[in-house]
Amino acid sequence: MNNATDNHLMEQVRDGKVERLAIIFERYHVMLYNFFLRLTYNRSLSEDLVQDVFIRVLKYRSSYQGQDKFTIWLYKIARNTHIDYLRKRKDIVLLDEQLDKIASQEPLPPEKAEQAQEILRLSQALAKLPLKKREALILSRFQDLKYKEIAELFGCRIGTVKVLVHRAIKELGKAYLELSGGVAS
Amino acid sequence: MKCNQIKEKFSDFLIGEIDEIKRKGIQEHVTVCNSCREELETLSAIWAKLGVLPEEQPSNNMRTRFYATLEKYKKSLEQEKERFHLGKLLVGWVERWMPRRPVFQFSFALLLLVVGLAAGYFFHSSWQRGGEIAELRQEVLQIRQIAALSLLRQESLNERLKAVGLNSRGEQPDEGTLASILRTIGSDTDIYTRMATLDDPYLFPGFSIVKEELAQSLSEQTSPLVEVALALVHHIEHLK
Ligand SMILES: [Zn+2]
Repeated sequence: MNNATDNHLMEQVRDGKVERLAIIFERYHVMLYNFFLRLTYNRSLSEDLVQDVFIRVLKYRSSYQGQDKFTIWLYKIARNTHIDYLRKRKDIVLLDEQLDKIASQEPLPPEKAEQAQEILRLSQALAKLPLKKREALILSRFQDLKYKEIAELFGCRIGTVKVLVHRAIKELGKAYLELSGGVAS
Repeated sequence: MKCNQIKEKFSDFLIGEIDEIKRKGIQEHVTVCNSCREELETLSAIWAKLGVLPEEQPSNNMRTRFYATLEKYKKSLEQEKERFHLGKLLVGWVERWMPRRPVFQFSFALLLLVVGLAAGYFFHSSWQRGGEIAELRQEVLQIRQIAALSLLRQESLNERLKAVGLNSRGEQPDEGTLASILRTIGSDTDIYTRMATLDDPYLFPGFSIVKEELAQSLSEQTSPLVEVALALVHHIEHLK
C-alpha cells in the first residue's frame, strides 16, 4: 500500500520519476472510466479517453503546479479530453443511438429486465441534459465531488453549481417521466 | 423562510452538505408548503434512483495499454537524457577550457570560431576547390573586423596584435597576415602570461603563487589553440 499523497506523486512525475504515474493510474483510472462512461455510454471510447487523459498528464507534467487539489486538476484534463473528442467527432447525437444499441443488444432474464429497463431509461434521460448540467450532476452524484470543487473545476461560483445541479435533477426527472410514459408535471 | 430561499438549498439537501439547522428549516417548511414538498420529493426520488446506475470496471486491456505507454515514454525520456548528457559533455569541455578573464574568453571564442571555420572549410574544400582562397580571405576579413572592433577595448592585447599588423594593414589581408594572426593568437602564450601577471594586479594583489599557477594553466590551455592554428596555416600554405 502506497500512502504518498497524489500531489506528492504528481510532483515526482513532474520531476522525472514518471513511473510514479502508475500509482496515480491505479488510484484513478476506474473513477475516470466511469466519468467518461456516464458521459458517452460507450465502453471502448471511455477506455480510449482514459488513456488519452494519462497521455496528457505525461505531456503536461512539467506544468503541474499543485495549486489545485490533484483530482480537480485531473478532472480538468478529463473534461478537456472529452470536449476535444466532441469537437473532433461532432456526434453528440450518437449518445441515444448508443443507448438504443445497448437496449437491443442485451436480452436479459425477466427478473433483471425491469432494473435494466430503469437503467436504460435513466441513462437516456441523462443523455438529454445539456453537457454542463450533465457533468455537474455526474460529478456531484457519482464522482463524489463537492459543489465547491465542481465550482473550481468549472471556474464559476459555487451558487452557480448548486443551481445547475438543482435544474439538472429537475430536468432529469421530467425526461425520465416522459420516457416512462408518464406525463411531465 | 420564503419558498425561493428554501428551494435554493435543495441541492445542498440532496448531497447531504447541509447543517442541522438548515435541514430542520427545510423539513418544517415542506410540512406546510405543498409545492415545495412535491418538488423536494421528486428531486429526492430521482436522486436516489440514480443509484441504480452501476459503477463499471474497465477491461484489463486498458491497464496493459497504459503500462505500455508509460514504458515507452520512460524509454524516450532516457534516450533524451543520454543525448542531453552528450551535449553537457561538450558544454563541459568548453567550460573547462574557457578562461576566466573576458579578454581570454574572447580569444577562446575566436578559437572556437576558427575551429568551426576550419572544419567547415575542410569539408567544403573536399568537393569544391575553386575560389576557396577568396572565400577564406573573405572570412578572415570578417574575423579581423570583428576582432579589431572587440580588441579596441582590450588595450594591451590590441597593442600586441598591432605589432603583427592587424589594424595597420590595408583592407585585404594576405595569407601571410592570416598566418601571423593565427600564430599570435595560437602560439604566443606570452600574451596570456603577460596579461595574467601584469594586467591583473587588482585580482591577485600579493598572491604571486596564484598568479603563477594561473599563468601556468593559461599556457597549457594554448595547446589545442596552437594545434588548430598550425593546422590551418599548414593547410593554407599547402593550397598555395
Ligand atoms: Zn415552499
